[in-house]
Amino acid sequence: MDDIQSTVKAYILEQFLPDANPEELTESTPLIAGGILDSLATVRLVMFLEEHFGIEVQAHEVSADNLDTLERIAKLIRSKKSAGSGGR
Amino acid sequence: MDFTYSPDQQLLRKEIVAFAKAKLNAGVIERDRNQVFPRELWKECGTMGLPGLPVPEEYGGSGLDPLSTAMALEALGYGCTDHGFVFSLCAHIMASVVSICRFGNEEQKRRFLPGLSDGTLVGVNGMTEPGTGSDPFAMRARAVKDGSGWRINGTKIFISNAPEAQVVIVFAVTDPATRFHGGVTAFLLERATPGVSVGNKIEKMGLRTSPFSELVFEDVRVPDEAVLGGVGGGAGVFTHSMDWERICLFAAHVGQMERLMERAIDYARTREAGGRKIGKYQAVAHKIADMKVRLEAARLLTYQSASRLEKTRSVSMDAAMTKLFVSESLVQTAADTLQIFGGYGYTVEYEVERALRDAFGAPIYSGTSEVQRNIIASWLGL
Repeated sequence: MDDIQSTVKAYILEQFLPDANPEELTESTPLIAGGILDSLATVRLVMFLEEHFGIEVQAHEVSADNLDTLERIAKLIRSKKSAGSGGR
Repeated sequence: MDFTYSPDQQLLRKEIVAFAKAKLNAGVIERDRNQVFPRELWKECGTMGLPGLPVPEEYGGSGLDPLSTAMALEALGYGCTDHGFVFSLCAHIMASVVSICRFGNEEQKRRFLPGLSDGTLVGVNGMTEPGTGSDPFAMRARAVKDGSGWRINGTKIFISNAPEAQVVIVFAVTDPATRFHGGVTAFLLERATPGVSVGNKIEKMGLRTSPFSELVFEDVRVPDEAVLGGVGGGAGVFTHSMDWERICLFAAHVGQMERLMERAIDYARTREAGGRKIGKYQAVAHKIADMKVRLEAARLLTYQSASRLEKTRSVSMDAAMTKLFVSESLVQTAADTLQIFGGYGYTVEYEVERALRDAFGAPIYSGTSEVQRNIIASWLGL
């Protein structure tokens, strides 16, 4: 698990899974399909990603394709940062 | 944080209040009784730039920042006693104009924003469906890919301004498996598009000059260019629109609260009972003192939230707190004003009973008070 995944994992554990065993949240745990991220939690997660990583997530990118696992979230963040066009 | 009005903002407020008092208030009792939407006044508002307050000047708007937009709408709410009309104008801005400004491509902005800003066009947003008011992403409306476009089917309900609209943003499911998470798309189209029809006007307790109705979509064919904010981007478009609405529409209610408080003060200083002005009785004076506290708190919360719009997307909790506090404060202030006016307040002529009927909608539309408390609790990690 890389630094990005670890940061996002820590946020999700703290905010949405305070009683969970950290080892059970892996890079492939389904966050949306598994009911961890409902609509409100997703909005909060996106806000966190934007502010913490200095990126901007477009409306059509708030999707299960990009957010359903730590792996996909990290991939989205890396693509934004490498493109260098996601900053405000 | 300092929210002292700039000279430009002071002038804007003065002009809007004067305009509203001079142009918008005559005949409101009859309009309310007969549920008449004053389309000619909408055009008048266009000459003042009100329908396009936050629209950039290059697209025909007034180019105001969010805080100045909130201040302008507060002035309108203060000056205009036709609360239904104010609601319609605010709904038009929040439900369609700001979404097009934020998510529209260049062609969409050039095509729709000038008319939406100058009073020629009325815009609506179709989200709510029967049974999905507080759970909007459970919607049943579907958009299915059809060649180089989409085919939309569904029924939307409680759509403010629908009977008067020319421009529609409709939300439909494009991927039933994901819904909120990339499965809902916003489409921007003309109301005259074949297959779009407006149901009967729905009679309401208050805001009777603001028409609303069903909006029905039957095999409505739109091109790919009608997508607003990207395929699957409906959640983001809707969330952005709600943040604006829960702040700037409710700024108008702050203005309304101030007007009601001033009327209560005037009445309490002139009406006598038991040989004294009724304002000298603590039972009355304390009600008005509480109105003042609610007004100032509501205004500060609204300005603070408005100043955060478009600077950060983390404004959802601010918007929920603003909406919750302002709406419930408005109802309390309207109810207390009526109580202070006594029997006269209960008559149509004094226009206080209408203010209370109109106020009762505020804790319901744009997400009920219960939904706002859920949002706030969620942001607090509960």
